Amino acid sequence: MILRRQFLVGAAATVAAPSVLRAQGAAYVLGTLFPMSGANAEFGTMYLNGVQLALDHIAADKMLKNGIDLRPIDSQGTAQGGAVGMTRLANVDRASYVLIGFTGVSKAAAPIGDRAKVVMVNGGGVGPDLATLSPYFWNILPLANQEVRAVLPFIKEKGFKRIAMIYTEDPSGMAVHAELKSGLPGVGGELVGAYGVAPTLTQFAAIAAQVRDVRPDAVFFASVSGVQAVQIVKQLRDNGISQQIMTYSTGNLPSVSALPESEGLVFTGQSADWAATEPTMKRFVTGWREKLKSEPTTYGLNYYNATLLFAQLAKGLEAAGKPVSGETLREEMLRVRTFQLAGGEVTFAENGTASTGVQLNQVRGGRIYKIA
Amino acid sequence: MIAYIVNLATLVAIFGIAAASMNLLIGYAGIFSLAHGAFFGIGAFAAAQLALNLTPDLLLAFLAAASLSIALSLCLALPALRVRGEYFIAASLGLQMFAVTVFHEAPSLTGGHGGLAGIPQATLLGIEVGTPWRFLAVAAVTLVLSLLLIQILMRGSFGRALMAMRDAESAAMAFGKNIPLLKTLAVAAGCGLVGIAGALYAFHISFVIGDSFTLEQSVLLQAMVIIGGAGTLAGPLVGTLLILLLPAALTFMPMIPPTEIGTVQQFLYGAAMTLLMIFRPGGIAGQSVGRR
Repeated sequence: MILRRQFLVGAAATVAAPSVLRAQGAAYVLGTLFPMSGANAEFGTMYLNGVQLALDHIAADKMLKNGIDLRPIDSQGTAQGGAVGMTRLANVDRASYVLIGFTGVSKAAAPIGDRAKVVMVNGGGVGPDLATLSPYFWNILPLANQEVRAVLPFIKEKGFKRIAMIYTEDPSGMAVHAELKSGLPGVGGELVGAYGVAPTLTQFAAIAAQVRDVRPDAVFFASVSGVQAVQIVKQLRDNGISQQIMTYSTGNLPSVSALPESEGLVFTGQSADWAATEPTMKRFVTGWREKLKSEPTTYGLNYYNATLLFAQLAKGLEAAGKPVSGETLREEMLRVRTFQLAGGEVTFAENGTASTGVQLNQVRGGRIYKIA
Repeated sequence: MIAYIVNLATLVAIFGIAAASMNLLIGYAGIFSLAHGAFFGIGAFAAAQLALNLTPDLLLAFLAAASLSIALSLCLALPALRVRGEYFIAASLGLQMFAVTVFHEAPSLTGGHGGLAGIPQATLLGIEVGTPWRFLAVAAVTLVLSLLLIQILMRGSFGRALMAMRDAESAAMAFGKNIPLLKTLAVAAGCGLVGIAGALYAFHISFVIGDSFTLEQSVLLQAMVIIGGAGTLAGPLVGTLLILLLPAALTFMPMIPPTEIGTVQQFLYGAAMTLLMIFRPGGIAGQSVGRR
């Protein structure tokens, strides 16, 4: 005959068993919210390649006691897709950490992730407004306004006084405009002309004429679109502007750097030296080349690092005997702050934005050289 | 899981209203508009601006969204009075493109390319209705009321006149029907209703951006009506269910590899739509042409 105490102990054990088992061996759920179909599927695939490469390395190193269960959701690159996908990842898949891309998707998903206390990490969008979406929304790449500060010492060194600017009228373009406008007086320069354009504009002859009229020492353009960047550079040169042209990470795109008119183009960019000997970066570059038979990209690197970051945070929590959840991951990030990722140390600010290195590059003979 | 289902159900209710409003134009009046996505957006931006600057009251948002959509629907009604068929489609396409440009290039009204974020949770007569269950209830009630309104309208003389105009415009005119007025009213009613759907969408997603109201959105609404069954009350709702839930259901299939999920989803989705149109051209809930 079963005593009442035995029955209660048995019942309690039955009720508690699933959570105990879950704590002991269930894999951590890592979600991705990338565009996997439609016009932006190429980006989503590139992002996911970085994540999967990192998961391979984490598994090979046996970094975590529990495995990582990857749950990729197609955001379709839309705000609605972001909201639906985030709801599913937070409520059905119970993901504690979601990698996210695209500004519209991020802005729609952020309130849902914030309510559910799910950490979201952006490695693709550069709009500065992404820095303030939620305490649970982190950026693992320099945002456009942070990046452009790196060009100011170059302007001072070259003695450029009169700067003209062409920028897209979107959050990133406008932030770069504001940053340059406020930063130039500090290096003895001034913004003598600023021309806002639609992100889809491809005809710049009239703007080039206006730029020529203000007689600048150098021209800075801010556009995230490779197609537009190519047209800006080409049409500025075609319309007789021979002065120094500068931009930010768009200059990294092969379509821009390979353009004959881009000769001498100076641009800022996230520090990413594929020839570096630093072990994690070397492993990323080698792994990418072997697995994907192509050259690595900074987007792939960002999501590789974002996945490594999760593993490092979860490892820290495992060591401390704490559960892995959005809240504990954030606590751990705020406790550690600086992480050793591919490319070097990355430090996160209170708002979750990483200060990664920014370098200055120049195009010479169709190739990119680091100049500062 | 429940929260996910509630979220999907809310979207179904919102898009159900939008599709039903599209059905008013396509199914009952025979007006094929490619600018419905733009009016969806106008409603969403109107509600978002009201919520961000004045009050998140849903009834006021409905009023603002519907009023603005109806007022601007005259831009669509104007070409509808002068042209028909494919010429009207081209005119509405122009309006859609114009609207998207305004959405992107008027940052003070629409947030421009960055959109409007941080839309507060909706209230209804002072009661907070932003929680998922409450908002679903509000959206579902709005859907039911919209369908009831359409049913009442279509059973009356207005509905019969619209259907007469759809089937034979010249004959309807010969019987003394005021075709320009009918078209204007149909466009105004359809756009007003989709404006209300837009307001619900803005509160539900909490973020509106011009990219959500492009030509693709108009085509999606058309697809919901045509697949479900144009000219029927249930058709748009069936189409909405299919178009919104099929992709969501596919993501639960474990046999689809993670990296290929997008491709497989698009392939299955396209194949299902094509087969439906081959074997049931009148739409799932539609009747044969002779019986309609």
